Amino acid sequence: MCDTTINPYLPELATVKEIIEETHNIKTFRIVLNDAEKMKNFTFESGQVGQLSIFGVGESTFVINSPPSEKDYLQFSVMRTGEVTQRLHQLNEGDQIGVRAPLGKGFPLGLLKGKDLLFIGGGIGMAPMRTLLLHTLDHRSDYGNIKVIYGARTPQDLCYGYEFDKWREGGADLVLTIDSEAAGWTERVGFVPTVLKEEKPSPDNSVAVTCGPPIMIKFVLQGLKEMGFADNQILTTLEKRMKCGIGICGRCNIGSKYVCVDGPAFTYDQLKDMLPEL
Amino acid sequence: MTECYYISQNELPAVLETVSGLMDVWVPLKTGTHKTAIEFAPFTPGCRPIFDRQSTSSPKSVLFPQSETLFKFRYLKDESDPTRQTVALTDLEEIRPALVFGLRPCDARGFLVFDKVFLDGIAKDPYYAKRREKTVLATLACKTPDSACFCSSVGSGPGDRQNSDLWIIPIDDGFVIEALTEKGREVLPRFGKPAGESQIKQAEKVQKHIDGLTVGKADLTGAGSEFTRRFTDTEFWRDQVSKCLSCGMCTFNCPTCYCFNITDDAHGLEGERLRSWDSCMFNHYTREASGHNPRPEKYERFRNRVGHKFSYFPERYDGMMACCGCGRCIRNCPVSMDIRQIVRSLKENADV
Amino acid sequence: MNDKNKIIKQTFQKVFDDLEVVLGWKQGFDSLHMTPAFIRKASDLDQLVFNPQCVQNLSGYLFSTLKAADPEKQGKIGICVKGCDSRSLTALIQEGLVERDRVYIVGIPCEGVVDVKKLRNLKPSLTEISGITIEADEVVIEADGKTERFPIADVLAHKCLQCRYPNPLIYDALIGEPVTARVAQDAARPAVEQLDALSLEARRNFWLTEMDRCIRCYACRNACPMCVCQDSCIAETRSPKWLSQRSDISEKFLFHMIRTVHLAGRCTECGECMRVCPVDIPVTLLMEKMNCIVKELFDYEAGIDPESKPPLQTYDSSKTGI
Repeated sequence: MCDTTINPYLPELATVKEIIEETHNIKTFRIVLNDAEKMKNFTFESGQVGQLSIFGVGESTFVINSPPSEKDYLQFSVMRTGEVTQRLHQLNEGDQIGVRAPLGKGFPLGLLKGKDLLFIGGGIGMAPMRTLLLHTLDHRSDYGNIKVIYGARTPQDLCYGYEFDKWREGGADLVLTIDSEAAGWTERVGFVPTVLKEEKPSPDNSVAVTCGPPIMIKFVLQGLKEMGFADNQILTTLEKRMKCGIGICGRCNIGSKYVCVDGPAFTYDQLKDMLPEL
Repeated sequence: MTECYYISQNELPAVLETVSGLMDVWVPLKTGTHKTAIEFAPFTPGCRPIFDRQSTSSPKSVLFPQSETLFKFRYLKDESDPTRQTVALTDLEEIRPALVFGLRPCDARGFLVFDKVFLDGIAKDPYYAKRREKTVLATLACKTPDSACFCSSVGSGPGDRQNSDLWIIPIDDGFVIEALTEKGREVLPRFGKPAGESQIKQAEKVQKHIDGLTVGKADLTGAGSEFTRRFTDTEFWRDQVSKCLSCGMCTFNCPTCYCFNITDDAHGLEGERLRSWDSCMFNHYTREASGHNPRPEKYERFRNRVGHKFSYFPERYDGMMACCGCGRCIRNCPVSMDIRQIVRSLKENADV
Repeated sequence: MNDKNKIIKQTFQKVFDDLEVVLGWKQGFDSLHMTPAFIRKASDLDQLVFNPQCVQNLSGYLFSTLKAADPEKQGKIGICVKGCDSRSLTALIQEGLVERDRVYIVGIPCEGVVDVKKLRNLKPSLTEISGITIEADEVVIEADGKTERFPIADVLAHKCLQCRYPNPLIYDALIGEPVTARVAQDAARPAVEQLDALSLEARRNFWLTEMDRCIRCYACRNACPMCVCQDSCIAETRSPKWLSQRSDISEKFLFHMIRTVHLAGRCTECGECMRVCPVDIPVTLLMEKMNCIVKELFDYEAGIDPESKPPLQTYDSSKTGI
């Protein structure tokens, strides 16, 4: 019994290896599966998610935001919002949690190969894109220009600040922005959709990936369409309350699509055909 | 008809009692203060199963209990480092074989929907699978549809043998029982004796009569595109759903409703993860931790329910409805919501 | 009966321009069932009926209908009430959940309503009902070409057998003549007395057996006109979590106990909770007992006088009894 290959509801036991405090309410967790063999053989696609379990409290869904090439740990970034995330934030290195992963469908890499890539993120929206960004940097020659526009309210609300130099060194053109002037800030100032317009990215042979607060997504989409991006040139990830993660419990549906099976990564093409129930 | 047995009404209780020594036997029994509810319950000596009417709620709890432990957990001291904790998990308990005697074709069709979702998806549900494997479904051919029934409207019917292991045809004084599957064949010899010619003839007559019944006035299949077109017609939905109380009665009684919740119960350092029935009609069903709720209003939730049964599920499963036409949601509804009328309104493009 | 239907329609027609919507009853999916009607067009008023199958307490819709009403138009909600329904309406007014001047009340004196489940149990093959008449001791049912008489205890709803308020206590228009109550004002409640006569242990076992059937569908709670906090009910909150999802007698018992205490001094015994229960739990008896206790302690009954303040929602330092 207790075989996770038979029982998709049973979490793998894992240990919290490292905790990074990103912002006042976001923490990044690097976890290692207790079963070394399983950890070694763990594979996933960028964009797939995992359910983290705090036994006694519950489970919550997060994108695996480390790149598939990272074999030492699985990384999840968690914003403190409800019961489970509250308890996650109280964990210490060495504590035990459960993981059910990988779940869902990752980003459609076929659509991205050979193209210029544009990542547009806000706040914790950078998390689901980090895995894809680092994956593309791992295979740099497979892609054209890689530009990242990443913004937050204040410098303290940006995640992964400790990696920005590495991203630039890896070949990404990183444009950082905050909402309003701040002392010591030398990068851009302005809302992400505004900075997007200023950058004037060309839609030719390009794919845009965007994640962030709904209001940002709305204006980013508008901007991208105005600049000539076609529906199948825009990708995003969706969030819904999830329980089983395997398309059975019925909860995460948008019309006939299940976010846990057909997503969470979707093209705008697919999104606009969905019923308006976000 | 192949391999039929006949058992008289008088002999049936003794047989059910014997069988209940080998497996859990579930029969429809009257219950309640005024005995107005009929529920599937374990057979006990002396009980009187009710076969002349549909049960109040479906027998889905036999394969899909209202609450069930997915696994238990215990925090322990790590033996190699007592300053740390580990977690021990235990899951999947043994399941006793079961026989559901006296469900209706609509109930069996409900299990067909469950089979597709729990067994044929991207992952197999081991809890449902175990119970399903060990359960024999002995379905009663339905002679008594009522004003709320509409199985024929959703691609089924009172003579629908699909997904049953034994097929029971009521005749004068007893039942002719036919085995439809291997599982059914194993249990059949317990039920009386091989049926005689006159009994088989009677049964054939009853079967013919049942096959000739059309239960339900309209064809409710193929409503998917109309549903999509009217999705944003807020006035239509608000109007249709005004009287709904947004309780969970319809979903809990429904043979095809399978939505569930997963929650943890902890008592100190140990506890369990539970799976329990949930309802898309409840306000909190889709409420996210941030407080955002994609369906805060009851008309949105009811619309999703209609959509799931008559549009989304058929889209994913080759046109099959996630509705078996048993009519429980209509018959038991405190305010008599009528899903047939709503789907008809969609198909006929007008408010009925 | 037909005249009553006409008068109800005419009464609403006269004031329809001031009304945002009319809540009444209309024909349901078969001859046994009537169903709530939300009338927004004057031409639909024809659908309104009143007969002993009009079981639903429409007061339960008032709170949410008023919340959703057009704030600029400030239209009134028209509503049909029987005696018991009018008590719920009054209780809602007492608690400030419904404003008296936002409702136009058509009160209908009532001789009783049928318990649909009891009737279906008694006559499972009943198909076409053409008429039901309630007499003093019997219910006359014309159906499928026959006329049959039944003792009222076999067909009438539980609440009707002990009804003290058959005539609406609050209304803008009264349809038909007032009727005599079946029991005296100070009459005891037979089922409650029966339970009181049991030992504490026997009473506890009775309730544990009844509640074991509960499936926590929350139909009782959602049908209750006084349970206005359905969407944030303590039975379903996640944080803090009061009840486990486990289908256990302890959770079911706790849910019903919480509800009973929350309704102490508020329940108007409309009986909806018992009517809607799919597993036939006599939920109302709990509230009836609570109401006896409240009457004893505070000499108060909910839903009688729209001006009086419910004692458990006020603090009177002069009261020495508690």
